[in-house]
Amino acid sequence: MNGSTGNVIDVDLTERSVTVASPPEDWYLRYIGGSGLAARLFWEMGHFDTDPFSPEAALIFMDGPFAGLKLSGTSRMSVGGRSPLTGNWGDSSCGGYFGPELRYAGYDGIVLRGRTEAPSLLLIEDDRIEIVDAASCWGKGIEEVNSGLKERFGKNHRTLVIGPAGENMVRYALILSEGHHAFGRAGFGAVMGSKNLKAIVVKSSKQRMKVADPKRYEKLRKELNTRIKENLTNSVLRESGTAANLEGAMFAGDVPIRNFTSNFSEEMGEALSGATLTEKFLTRRWTCMYCTVGCKRIVAVPEGPFAIPEGPGPEYETIAAFGALLGSQDLAAACKAGRICNDLGLDTISAGGTIAWAMEAFEKGHLTLKDTGGVKLLWGDMETVIDKVLPAIARREGILGELLSLGSVAAAERTGKGSMDYTCHSKGLEAPMHDPRGGGHGMALTYAVSPRGACHVADPMLHMEMGACYYPEIGIEYEPDPMTDAHKPEAAVRSVELGGIENSACFCEFADREVSIPEWVELFNAVAGYGWDVEDMMRAGRRVFYLKRLINYRYGRTSRDDTLTPRMLEPARDGEPKGIEINFSGMKERFYELMDMDPEKGIPREATLREYGMEEEARKVW
Amino acid sequence: MEYWKDETEPIKAFLKLFESTREDKELSTGLKKVNQLIWFDYTEDGPNCSYYWDCRDGKLEAGAGKPAEKPDLIMSLSADNAHRSWSNKLNPVMAITRRKIRVKGSATGLLRLAPKLKKVAVHYEKVLKELGWEDKILK
Repeated sequence: MNGSTGNVIDVDLTERSVTVASPPEDWYLRYIGGSGLAARLFWEMGHFDTDPFSPEAALIFMDGPFAGLKLSGTSRMSVGGRSPLTGNWGDSSCGGYFGPELRYAGYDGIVLRGRTEAPSLLLIEDDRIEIVDAASCWGKGIEEVNSGLKERFGKNHRTLVIGPAGENMVRYALILSEGHHAFGRAGFGAVMGSKNLKAIVVKSSKQRMKVADPKRYEKLRKELNTRIKENLTNSVLRESGTAANLEGAMFAGDVPIRNFTSNFSEEMGEALSGATLTEKFLTRRWTCMYCTVGCKRIVAVPEGPFAIPEGPGPEYETIAAFGALLGSQDLAAACKAGRICNDLGLDTISAGGTIAWAMEAFEKGHLTLKDTGGVKLLWGDMETVIDKVLPAIARREGILGELLSLGSVAAAERTGKGSMDYTCHSKGLEAPMHDPRGGGHGMALTYAVSPRGACHVADPMLHMEMGACYYPEIGIEYEPDPMTDAHKPEAAVRSVELGGIENSACFCEFADREVSIPEWVELFNAVAGYGWDVEDMMRAGRRVFYLKRLINYRYGRTSRDDTLTPRMLEPARDGEPKGIEINFSGMKERFYELMDMDPEKGIPREATLREYGMEEEARKVW
Repeated sequence: MEYWKDETEPIKAFLKLFESTREDKELSTGLKKVNQLIWFDYTEDGPNCSYYWDCRDGKLEAGAGKPAEKPDLIMSLSADNAHRSWSNKLNPVMAITRRKIRVKGSATGLLRLAPKLKKVAVHYEKVLKELGWEDKILK
């Protein structure tokens, strides 16, 4: 094989056995790699009645075909399985250095099953794959464990580590790579914790990477690296990080404030922007492997109640989740909250979303001091959030920690009193920090139909509505107006196809915006030798989307689950989108027609599945 | 050019717009945050069709032509698209993606001004009226 190696490590933690499997080559061609191939492997295992925390539950890490290339944006990898937060198919993507190192070691992915008796870690050094004791790491924060692993094995060994939140099976626990890069969403840190697996460590002795057509690839690599580096958006990201446009997004009404009750605060926009972060706290810029974008931040807060030493800094999502969403404009507090979440192993989006819901519940009297164990949950009180709430969640301590460790939806179910109405999610996944009412109505649709739930990186709709995508080769020539439904179902079809490709190729959404559709095809052909044309590639992207829908259907999810909450669909109360209604049902109906999906079951019709070469999958659901 | 009789007209309008925004307390604060020397290059519509802003170190100055010093940022576009842009009828992100605007240098400062384009457009309409160019106002 080219690009991918064809080898997947299969670990049974209960039996402490390790084998190397070779998935059918055809699956790579049809599902690409990354989250698409992970979904296909998961489908094959057929564990649709398995609790995500049971030993039998599978957790699948998977590279795309480009991992290991010296090309900006290709160092990401995916993890997939049944999400303990949503109960549905979940996947999450992470940049950094682990994915390429795993490829160089000779593997495309890792399938984890079973549960070790005692805390362990998985060590991969080329052909040597071992389950190693990690009792001394258990209970410790990620920062300390990551440093310890580097001391124990070597500074160039690449790591994936869970924190106390993962050990305690908090449903939105993350997996952190190199102490900085996160598999944030869907709670897979908790699945690792349920398996007693504290970490995975990988090191290759050489940089092996086989491509189908080295000359074609090299030419393309040079062209793309230059353009990706010079791209204006990327130069802004390099300079000011992913929060570079927070101020602009605030004026558009894209940044949710106080649990999506407001869409505008000029002061917050300025106080939390990437430019302010650069001026006040930035010490260095950081990057994923071989990337010329360099959007990562290293920060220090030298003094004050939220002082932190130099270390990984927050990205846009963390700044907004622990800033505007909680009614705070204290950027130092957002930096510290992000650092604490990283160390405890909590996804900042779901943590911020769940705390924002709790603050509103407290304000409305739906949660009382009795329910919170005496903790007052007040908008903007970041000292309480950082010192009391986050540690309580990660350790599931006290009545409040236990309640909020479930995520906003389960917490609202338990609380009742109409508190579900002001949860902000789709399919149980807390919404990211882009409010579709201001960011774009198309995003309301793609949040709702996304198999993993409300997600801004499952597909590029956010970038499409912003105007950062231009793909005339696949019919996206119009200039979408974010505040209307015009062209949105049509754009959403292309968006979910592109999202399937992007998340299966594991190509960073910032870098790959510079890659045209013909260049995407060229890259697949030069690296992996797929022999595709544009149509083949787009069909593969859609096939990935369809497959994830089928998995959810087997979990009992139907078209009824493709929705947003009342709070997210009510007209905005202020800012640019004030009073504008989203034509959600109209967009959804049209999207279903265009995707040829059954309006009740929410899955593609049988004939369509066959047309996409998914006969075997069709037999299981029709 | 669709909106301009010759290459002097857009520069006259845009320099007057700069004067007008400089008098606006909120916009002048925004302009100062840009903190850059920017050359607006419309020379595709004529060799003298360009002007610059100097917003460095608290200054708020503008002038016709290319600045004497090396600009921090060059924005190259047509005078018609500049007219659409100041009228808030051109999405700057889309225009850049579609290469209607070419940018060289750091755009971070300008990004901080982008949210104020709506307010700039109000000044631009007033300026066009003052110049007797109501017919150029985009609705």
